[in-house]
Amino acid sequence: MSTAVAARPAAADRARSVLVSTVPYVLAVLAAFAVVAVIIVLLGHDPAKAFRAVLTNSFRNPTGMVQTLQKWVPLTLLAIAFAIPLAAGRFNIGGEGQMILGATGAVAVGITLSELPLVILLPLTILAGVVAGALWAAVAAWLMERYKVNEILSTVLLNFVSFEILDYVASVVWSDPGAGGAVTLPIGVGAELPALGRPPMHVGVILVALLAAVAAFLAKRSVAGFELSAVGLNERASRLHGIRTGRVAVLSMVVAGAVGGLAGAIEVAGVHQRMLEGIQSNFLLLGIIIGLIARGSLTAVPFVAFGIAVLEVGAGSMQRVSGAPVEIVLILEGLILLFILMSDVIMTRLRRARATKVAAA
Amino acid sequence: MNEFLVLTITAMVPFLFVAQGTMLSGRAGIFSVSQEGLMLLGAAVGYLVSLQFGSNAVGLVVAGLAGAVFGAALAWATTYLRMDQFVVGLALFFLAGGTASLLYRVVIGEDEPPRIPPLPDVALGLDALVYVAVALSLFLWWWLYRTDAGMRLRSVGENPKAADSLGINVTRTRMIAGTVGAALMAIGGAYLPMVFSGVYADGIVAGRGWIAIALAFFGGWRPQFILLGSAFFAAMDVLAQKAQVSGLAIPHQFVAMLPYLATLLVMVFAFRWALVPQFLGRNYDRESRIVG
Repeated sequence: MSTAVAARPAAADRARSVLVSTVPYVLAVLAAFAVVAVIIVLLGHDPAKAFRAVLTNSFRNPTGMVQTLQKWVPLTLLAIAFAIPLAAGRFNIGGEGQMILGATGAVAVGITLSELPLVILLPLTILAGVVAGALWAAVAAWLMERYKVNEILSTVLLNFVSFEILDYVASVVWSDPGAGGAVTLPIGVGAELPALGRPPMHVGVILVALLAAVAAFLAKRSVAGFELSAVGLNERASRLHGIRTGRVAVLSMVVAGAVGGLAGAIEVAGVHQRMLEGIQSNFLLLGIIIGLIARGSLTAVPFVAFGIAVLEVGAGSMQRVSGAPVEIVLILEGLILLFILMSDVIMTRLRRARATKVAAA
Repeated sequence: MNEFLVLTITAMVPFLFVAQGTMLSGRAGIFSVSQEGLMLLGAAVGYLVSLQFGSNAVGLVVAGLAGAVFGAALAWATTYLRMDQFVVGLALFFLAGGTASLLYRVVIGEDEPPRIPPLPDVALGLDALVYVAVALSLFLWWWLYRTDAGMRLRSVGENPKAADSLGINVTRTRMIAGTVGAALMAIGGAYLPMVFSGVYADGIVAGRGWIAIALAFFGGWRPQFILLGSAFFAAMDVLAQKAQVSGLAIPHQFVAMLPYLATLLVMVFAFRWALVPQFLGRNYDRESRIVG
């Protein structure tokens, strides 16, 4: 056995391997678009018109870009909240509930302490959201570690509980009597995230960009990130090498909850200035799709999230322009995911076939 | 019959179909997590087809077929391609849910949806599917534990390598179990518009698919205990609905949480004594040299 460490390949080789590895991605995305084009034709609409509307809406004017970034923020956060436990081999399907609890924590502080100045109130509001989300996820993490309750089930069931909490808070505790339906009172001015530009974009987007960069860095370069992926790759081996696997798994869930809670707090402080029914939108579903398309890589998540945000913002305009229903976009996203997953299998087979051929020659 | 009893027995039916479907594919080693999506798909297809053909029976059959397609896709991806069961299951959950919304939007649009007639009463004020669901559970109990084919299916979920070495076709068993299981899940979803609402809505399933997975664990992946367990889950469901309209002193939101919280609580115990199939959620690679 040689113990020599392999030399780092030349930059040109690395660039080529990166390029080659993007080919299946591109093909998978194209295949998904092709299938959806057939569906659109079958429904009697023009796919070219539909796709042009979907893809260009974000870039045509500043409003489109702001809408896209506003979606990008919660999508990135929920994708991170899914991807962190995924690295440890755990499935967090509770981003929605963690986000709602985060929003609840944020409005609780933002409404009850609304008189405080911005420098104190804004950090408190965000912090309350983060803590509430972390605690909510901790429930599922505790059930998982202590009672071996499957975390997919516990996180999903807690989502349904969180919907009722949202309804209770928004229609009983801090209900806004002037608004129809389940809407809370507005938070204090000091709890609102400042906005920049025209049309205004809240500064949460900078916060999230920084967070995503730090998370990607930590996942690759820190001890915690290493332990996280070690547990995901081989739990038994990790335990034998002294990693406290249970604690890593629990922590990954709690951190994910904190990130989900942050998403809720930012939606409250930056977008709605209050909590309302449906604040969670379909960010959970999309977050999972993003996390899986990125194959759990925190580096890829923000970029994939941007692509999905473009599709989501374009969906409405696609329906207006071409008549193809908005649900098409969800099918498109599902197919992209499925084809990317399948491209993995195909690539493995191709590689194996080539290896056999080389060995035979 | 007592009204509460009728309501509970009716509420049992979707749980039974979906949980038995989960159990059936699970006993062959395929852990599906697309129940919620398949139920939505079943509800949409069942509703739309019943509307077009004026027959709920046709709606149920076509819903079952739609579910079977997704089940076959999951089984194929996890046997022939050996893709991760949870990941593919989630992807199919999105696709099924998206397809359900899309079909409904294409056919009905934004109009007020027409109602389909409820399933007719057969005996004791209960519809035919109630009897089918109970009979199915008893049949599966007999079939899994008293026939060769049932034992073969269980062996694939427990130890596919041993099963394979004795000449059982692991892949084919998983394909069949996964397909039939998913068909049952979609039929469970199709039952919802036919009995409770008369129309399809995107929120119609309301977590029942996930609760059904919990039910499969709660019943220890055995049909007879799933039958008993579904009665408990159905009673919780009905109690929550009743308490919401009865004007109790407790805010209705807290009552509505009950089924989910009860499920969580039950799972704390269920996972302790649950006899989970040994190979549940894992793919079988016949070329692998690692035993187990």
